[in-house]
Amino acid sequence: MADILTVIIVTFYFLAMLGIGIWASKKIKTTEDYLVAGRSLGLWVFILLMIGTVASGMSLLGVSGLGYKVGWPTIWEQIFVPLSIGFCVIFFGVKLHNIAKTSGYMTVQDYIAHRYESPIALRSLAAVAGIIVSLIYLVGQYTAIAIVLMWLFAIPLWLALIIATLVTMIYTAIGGLYAVAWASLIQSVILIVGVIIMAPIIIFHAGGFTHVNEVMASINPNLVMPWNPSGAFAVPYIFSFAILLMVGLACAPHVINNVLSIKDVKFFKWAPLAAFLIYGAAMFLLKFTGFAGIAMVKEGIFALPTVVNAGDYVILYGIQYSIPTIAFWGIFAVIVLAAVMSTTDRLMLTIGAMVSWDLYKKVLRPDAPDKTILLLSKIVVVLSAISTMILAINPPEMLAILIWMGIGVMLSTFAVPLLAGLYWRGATRQGALAAMSLGLVTSLVFGFFNYFKVVFAGVDFAKIPLHFSFYSFVIAIIAMIVVSMATKKTAEKILDETQTGWYISKQ
Amino acid sequence: MFGLPDITVIAVGGVVLIIIIALLYWGLTFRGHD
Repeated sequence: MADILTVIIVTFYFLAMLGIGIWASKKIKTTEDYLVAGRSLGLWVFILLMIGTVASGMSLLGVSGLGYKVGWPTIWEQIFVPLSIGFCVIFFGVKLHNIAKTSGYMTVQDYIAHRYESPIALRSLAAVAGIIVSLIYLVGQYTAIAIVLMWLFAIPLWLALIIATLVTMIYTAIGGLYAVAWASLIQSVILIVGVIIMAPIIIFHAGGFTHVNEVMASINPNLVMPWNPSGAFAVPYIFSFAILLMVGLACAPHVINNVLSIKDVKFFKWAPLAAFLIYGAAMFLLKFTGFAGIAMVKEGIFALPTVVNAGDYVILYGIQYSIPTIAFWGIFAVIVLAAVMSTTDRLMLTIGAMVSWDLYKKVLRPDAPDKTILLLSKIVVVLSAISTMILAINPPEMLAILIWMGIGVMLSTFAVPLLAGLYWRGATRQGALAAMSLGLVTSLVFGFFNYFKVVFAGVDFAKIPLHFSFYSFVIAIIAMIVVSMATKKTAEKILDETQTGWYISKQ
Repeated sequence: MFGLPDITVIAVGGVVLIIIIALLYWGLTFRGHD
């Protein structure tokens, strides 16, 4: 399939991304330029950066793959993932942006250290936890890139991984958040426009939206119901799934750090609605292509490969059948690459920030010059890319599962310390330490048990009614409340400086 | 409708509508300050 036109299109896209990196590198003078783009992002660059950050490898391959496997009960994913941008802006963004203007935060760990008067312990724990969850998430992203490149060029996995890693790594390392934001702007437009054009063509070739639903209902009536009668994607599970996606993604370090880079808080006014409508429309269409795949396979139009993660290939086969024009394959490959790379670059930059700023500058070497921090950020971006590339050589069974595990760990680790810190004046340093450490450890354990179907203390973790992260999230809430009530309150001065209280914005 | 059971159209459509109204309300009422 590696025709010359496809190679040209994909190569042109890669060169464009590298060009953005080179252009952005000229704007980088300080660590603030590198990590938060000089706090200069406008409304649409911010909205598309948020969409690009949230729209991941799962957005094209995993979303349609899960739709193919489970049907309509998974549609809630396409509602609560786009809503996570609004949740992040409204419940975290407004306050963090306002505090950051006077406090000069570079990362969300700066806020946590300030609010909980814990410049070393809690900052270090938050940074290490952030690095762990970002690495888990990154492995899923690289797997998605590899799937696309292997399909497109029929090349071995290791070569696909090296190509993808090199391009993303170079423009991120040299251009920082300026490069990531402007690359995301282009990547998000490619993703949204591409999906809005291509998905209806696939659905049309599957016989139309109504026909697809009728075929799904004839195979299994549960495929067209809004929830399953029991087990995964039953109502309780969907509730925990909604919390996982909406809150977990919103407080993920690579997503929440974006709110520190916006120029003016007034951009938060319409960003939630615009992001929900634009991203939601594209995501619904993507899910429908997964449904179209069910009908096309059922009616013998094509057969999926006999691999463990066959569902992840459904959109690739759908587009190959529906739009056999050679040029479209290359364009579609660019769409998928855009979706994956827009998250991958932000994750690598976030890991760079957590290591160079939170751990090195703020914990190990407070007197380190700005140039050293900048250089270290770039080195860490390169190292994180290489290390996750090596981890991704053995791709997981289902892409979505690994990425959700990453989001689950993010939810359990960061949601409670952030929400309690911003809105509850009774939350203390010890409470935050307990919530964060227990949330991190229990979510990793529960995620591991769930993934490997472990039976422990009479509990079959493969059959728990809620998403595993919800249990660790509740444990973190209880830990925060109990420990905070038993420990010394935070100083009023700090609570006022960090605008802690039951309000979003003092108007 | 669309080959789907009513419960699917009502549940999914209803939740989407509620979210859009909530975000519209946020946009109309948020003033912020800089």
